Amino acid sequence: MPRSQKIIFWSLVAISVITLSLPTIIVIGASVTSGNIISFPPEGFSLKWYEKIAMARDLRLALWRSLIVSTVCVLVSLPIGTLAGLALTRYRLKFTNMINVYLLLPFTVPLIGSGIGMMLVFGEWGILGNVWPVGVACAVINIPFIIWSVSSSAAVLDRDLELAAENCGAGRLETFWYVTLPAVMPGVITGGLLMFVLAMTEFLVSLLLTDARTVTLPVQIYNNIRSIITPDLAAVSVVFVLIALIAVWLLDRLVGLEIFLKSK
Amino acid sequence: MNNSLADKTRFRYPMRWRIMDSLEEGANIMWPKSMSRHTGWLLLAPALLLVGILVIGLVQIGDASFRTLDTSTYLLSENYTGANYQTIWDSSTYARIIWRSLFGAFLTVVFTLLLAFPYSYILVRTPSAMVRKTLLIILFLPFFIGQVVRAYGWLIILGNSGVVNDMLGLVGVEPIRLLFNFPAVIFGLVQYMLPFAVLLLAPALTAIPQEIETAAGSLGANWRQTLWHVILPMAKPGLIGAALVVATLSLTDFAMPAMLGGGSQDFIANAIYDQFFRTANQGLGSALALVLVGIGSLMVGLVFVVFGAGTLGMGAKK
Repeated sequence: MPRSQKIIFWSLVAISVITLSLPTIIVIGASVTSGNIISFPPEGFSLKWYEKIAMARDLRLALWRSLIVSTVCVLVSLPIGTLAGLALTRYRLKFTNMINVYLLLPFTVPLIGSGIGMMLVFGEWGILGNVWPVGVACAVINIPFIIWSVSSSAAVLDRDLELAAENCGAGRLETFWYVTLPAVMPGVITGGLLMFVLAMTEFLVSLLLTDARTVTLPVQIYNNIRSIITPDLAAVSVVFVLIALIAVWLLDRLVGLEIFLKSK
Repeated sequence: MNNSLADKTRFRYPMRWRIMDSLEEGANIMWPKSMSRHTGWLLLAPALLLVGILVIGLVQIGDASFRTLDTSTYLLSENYTGANYQTIWDSSTYARIIWRSLFGAFLTVVFTLLLAFPYSYILVRTPSAMVRKTLLIILFLPFFIGQVVRAYGWLIILGNSGVVNDMLGLVGVEPIRLLFNFPAVIFGLVQYMLPFAVLLLAPALTAIPQEIETAAGSLGANWRQTLWHVILPMAKPGLIGAALVVATLSLTDFAMPAMLGGGSQDFIANAIYDQFFRTANQGLGSALALVLVGIGSLMVGLVFVVFGAGTLGMGAKK
């Protein structure tokens, strides 16, 4: 790379790196301050805010609800998305273009629209006010992610392997269970991980579908933000940083982050 | 004696085989081989139904959007009218909000691509595996941390008694109002969209062989010419995909205008939310939501028609 290009590109990358990581670093720093407000330079080190949030019942309950939401979302979306991803790649279907447009609706319809639509539907079905419908809603709005990741795994699976299995006497279910599914497993795991974390951090749809008794953790944080910013919210936010760290580490171990750079 | 001999000669299939066989048998009854032409649709059906919830929701919004709010009972009217759309059309407030959202989305696309392109380029071209891994981790962490926590981080940094103003205070500068204005919202949107843009752009850059750049260079092009005449045209599908995703996501965003705009910089999504939860006018809120869906679809449809689905198609077998 020529020198001038290097300077320009790397300084733009530096700006990106700072804007991407500064909030995280500041949140972690603010969570261990010993002062009662967040100030710079920091007033000293203490874990008292973690102690405080561990005692806070509303935050504990909100975290618990968020975990339920994520679990429901994965339980719903993983089988549905896997089958759909396989159907789109392994079977010859008519109207593939229309199906694509239809299944991309969760991405093309604005979140506020999907959220309010599901709020009206769930209200009519009388299930609003529970925690699990939020998980179903998260599955709906993120389902293209898992269809994507499964179908990109399935696209590289050699169809002859399945034919060979059937030739050796395997039935349809056996072929699916012992040949197809293991082959698309990286896609299934990646998709499942994405669904879990995205449901965990989902804000707008949670905001629309929850009330005071069913708030999830991101909504709780949003509600608690006041004009004066206290460090206890920073300590809660660190929970999300930890989840993100685990997710990135898992993703790297399971499929390797570099997979996202591959061209189709 | 005889018994044990019989035991030895009688062959028993392993448990797993027998379970698998009975399942297989069951499957044959439930979904006979003659139906296998339609197996694809069977596998697809649950996903179609799940997305169906969304479609029913849109129909409900559509229905509500044609009913006006009766201010004496706070119920929606029984008869259909286009009054809500007329209200939006006539209102200068909504015109301003829609314009602000569109302009904001446009600025976000420009700045995000400006930052995402070099990031993706270095990510793809760097010879060092360490640099690549580090850049990937820096990219993925915020993606997984979520919007609220990141916006909260910026509130700490940019607030009136935030880190930046505290630092300025140390050198004797009066606090500056950095938050709750339009640039703050755009800034928040750009940093939120950056991971999406890079992840859509990087595969397109991977598809460009490095030899082509080298060839352009050996034919006498400097790096700016190579960038402009070779790389950018070849990366067009990725650029379009990234621009489209960033544009629709920022046009319809709620959290950044709400948190970094402080109520003074509402986008369309915030106006919709207010209609539902502040003024409880479901009809007008629904009409606004449909206007937003319309603007978004128009944008996506236009790009799909002109450029094709590009990098966004699913399950393509090309």
